[in-house]
Amino acid sequence: MTALTRHRDRWISLGVFLVLALIWQVLSVVYTAEAQPGEPMVAGWQVLFTHTLLSLSDYWPGGWGVPAVSEGAPRSYLAAVLSIVVHSADTIGRLAAGMALGGFAGLLLGLAMSWSRWTRRLVDLPIQFLRTLPLLAMVPLFQLWFGTDYMGEVMFVAYGIGVIVFAGTVNAVRNIPPIYLDNARALGASQTMLYRSVILPAIFPAMRSVILLSLGAGWGAVLGAEYLGAQSGLGYIIVYAQQFAFLDRMFLVALLFILYTSVSYWGISRLSARMLAWAPPAQRQ
Amino acid sequence: MTPVADSLRPRLRSHRLRAGLRSAWIALDPLRLFGVVLFVGVWQLCTLMLPPIILPTPWGVVSRLSADFWSAPALSYYGVSEANLYGNLLYTAENVVIAVAIGAAIGILSGLLSARFALFRAVVDPVMMTAGTVPILIAAPFLLIWFGVGRASAVCLVIFYVAVILYVFAGRAARNLDPIYEQSARTLGATSRRMVRDILIPATVPEILGGLRIALAGAWGLEAISELLGAQSGMGKVLEVLAGATDPQGIMATLLVLGLTAIVADGLMALAVARIAQWSAPGR
Amino acid sequence: MSPPVDRRMIELANVQRTFKRGDGTTVQAISDVSLTVPEGEFVCMIGTSGCGKSTLLSMVAGLLEPSDGSIVVDGREIDGPGRERGMVFQKDSVFPWMRVIDNVEYGLKCRGVPASERRAIARTYLQRVGLAHVETAWPRELSGGMLKRVAIATVFANGGKVLMLDEPFGALDYVTRHQLQDVLLDLWDETGGKAARRTILFVTHDVDEALSLADRILVFGTGRLVDDLRVDAPRPRDTDSLLQPDMVAIKHRLLGHLGLERPTGRAVARGTAA
Repeated sequence: MTALTRHRDRWISLGVFLVLALIWQVLSVVYTAEAQPGEPMVAGWQVLFTHTLLSLSDYWPGGWGVPAVSEGAPRSYLAAVLSIVVHSADTIGRLAAGMALGGFAGLLLGLAMSWSRWTRRLVDLPIQFLRTLPLLAMVPLFQLWFGTDYMGEVMFVAYGIGVIVFAGTVNAVRNIPPIYLDNARALGASQTMLYRSVILPAIFPAMRSVILLSLGAGWGAVLGAEYLGAQSGLGYIIVYAQQFAFLDRMFLVALLFILYTSVSYWGISRLSARMLAWAPPAQRQ
Repeated sequence: MTPVADSLRPRLRSHRLRAGLRSAWIALDPLRLFGVVLFVGVWQLCTLMLPPIILPTPWGVVSRLSADFWSAPALSYYGVSEANLYGNLLYTAENVVIAVAIGAAIGILSGLLSARFALFRAVVDPVMMTAGTVPILIAAPFLLIWFGVGRASAVCLVIFYVAVILYVFAGRAARNLDPIYEQSARTLGATSRRMVRDILIPATVPEILGGLRIALAGAWGLEAISELLGAQSGMGKVLEVLAGATDPQGIMATLLVLGLTAIVADGLMALAVARIAQWSAPGR
Repeated sequence: MSPPVDRRMIELANVQRTFKRGDGTTVQAISDVSLTVPEGEFVCMIGTSGCGKSTLLSMVAGLLEPSDGSIVVDGREIDGPGRERGMVFQKDSVFPWMRVIDNVEYGLKCRGVPASERRAIARTYLQRVGLAHVETAWPRELSGGMLKRVAIATVFANGGKVLMLDEPFGALDYVTRHQLQDVLLDLWDETGGKAARRTILFVTHDVDEALSLADRILVFGTGRLVDDLRVDAPRPRDTDSLLQPDMVAIKHRLLGHLGLERPTGRAVARGTAA
């Protein structure tokens, strides 16, 4: 593909999003059915950023000198923005804590189990089983174990990511071209030296796709956990609004969620691409 | 007539036989089997330290599974329309199969088209790529409102998910196809319909099936959580009911059934891949 | 030995080809090539890399369109690829998803030849390239040289009157390359004698390969035909025939064109003698 067509395609992509937004807008004007009195099925931008945004202040639990709507205060944009910030922070915080915990544990365990071919074979079948267990179906179990609030969500995300990172690490170590290991051993590297100077750098390119994969799984896991029984977070707002068929609120929060996931993907892939500048192009993809 | 030279001896040595032996060896490898025993042993050890309301014993879960599989009267008491695991499993599996079939058809077709027509790709790619980054789960509550509680919303969710994955895999497979095969077919006199049937489809099938395997593996969880959010039956509904009743033994038995089903489905898929894509490198 | 038949098989008239690069500039790959190849001739095309010989071959195959000029094959102006013109590529083009015999049959299948008939034809050619024993193998089980044999059998089985080979043996080792040259000549010289010979365009960068195969050698340089040499040595040509004075003279001249030999008086003298 030449630079010219790439440029053209970028404009087309932008155009596609604009057309979709326009269709939505036109639909909101033409199709005025309401899910609830005052809550349109298709909320146009004129509704989303006034009425809907304002209504998000219902989810502000109060504090910082801004009273909650549930305590009788009127809706305000300040409370709405604060509630967006607080609930987003909850969701992102759970994801970050879970990713850090699961990623670290998965990486360490994976490296430990890659010590020899014996340990690798030992954990092969159980890890395959855990990986095939449908992750999202396990939310109730974790909520039973760790509660429906912070701990339960974080542990669930950590488990989901831990399994992916663990399996990814073992796989990456196994796929290191043996010539690197042989070369290091021939030069007299000890097992610990081997880990530090060969294995860790060599699995890095493969770990990039593992990180992107676990980021996707992490967002899905935190959303799933918040759908089922959490008392805060973006997923909680969506599912709570769904019970009253507040489609416009769901839509606004979903847009926010899409924004966060897209930005996180973009950021992580940019960051890891920079850290992998040394690798041949084929390994970077 | 040229003599058959040394270089003409095929590197056959029966790949299929070796692949078969290797998978049998992996399955029967004593160390791997010991890993499973160790896993169960650690679990058993943990139950000694934790109350059964947190962690049931492995044996308890298995016996619960065999008891509930054909008949679990308690479930009907909680409002699940099928009072056994078998019926709910069937419901879930049906939805998964239907959704994967439809989603795969949509995804493969659009993926192949995107590889062929740059303009089509430019239009569809941004939407598909956004859908690939954002967890499809975000759509579940919307689908529940639009389609109500029932099969349709769960199936729809899984269709989205499968279609996006296969769009990516099919598109990549078709773009990575070396143009030499098409040039060669054209010089041999292939029509464009033949080209699709004899070159494009067989060449991309291994990678597409690989994508289908990944999509299928993820479909079970998505279907289950969709049922957890709202359904009358299905494994997700069972999980929801058992979670309400604080019954970890039942939850784990249900998860075990679901997990085993997913593993069997994945195994069947792997077999199908090995059969259909016999020409590509064995094993992997 | 004079050219056997004088029916014109390939006629190129003022063929040109330009490419547009990514930055918008145009490159002249072929500028004004005209030549005629009679039926049954074995023509080798030689030149430094980037001289346009592969581009010219792709145009005769119909995979590329000339920017200007006309290409007539067997009395008809070509329009895209056609089964009367077979092509063996430099890269492996054997379909990995078809068994060896199905690959050899593929062209016949596209033409609608009945299954039993095309299988018989494919078997014959597989036998002739020495691969009868791997009929049902998958291509991944074959070595590079064997894959080339399959590709050659495929184009011969398809029955094209013109065969084009684009540096087919370039990636092979020395021994295999020589074995395959024999296979190719053997097929070309098949039953029916000179009258049944196919017309072959063979692109190569190997001077000795050209000398041992060709009736005629076309030398290309930066998009132009710079020399047209006849090789009249009788076949089969062995090591000794390549050492004959007239062959050595042609070789000197070729090496000179490729910039590998300074045009000393001796080489030029011999060259003109040829």
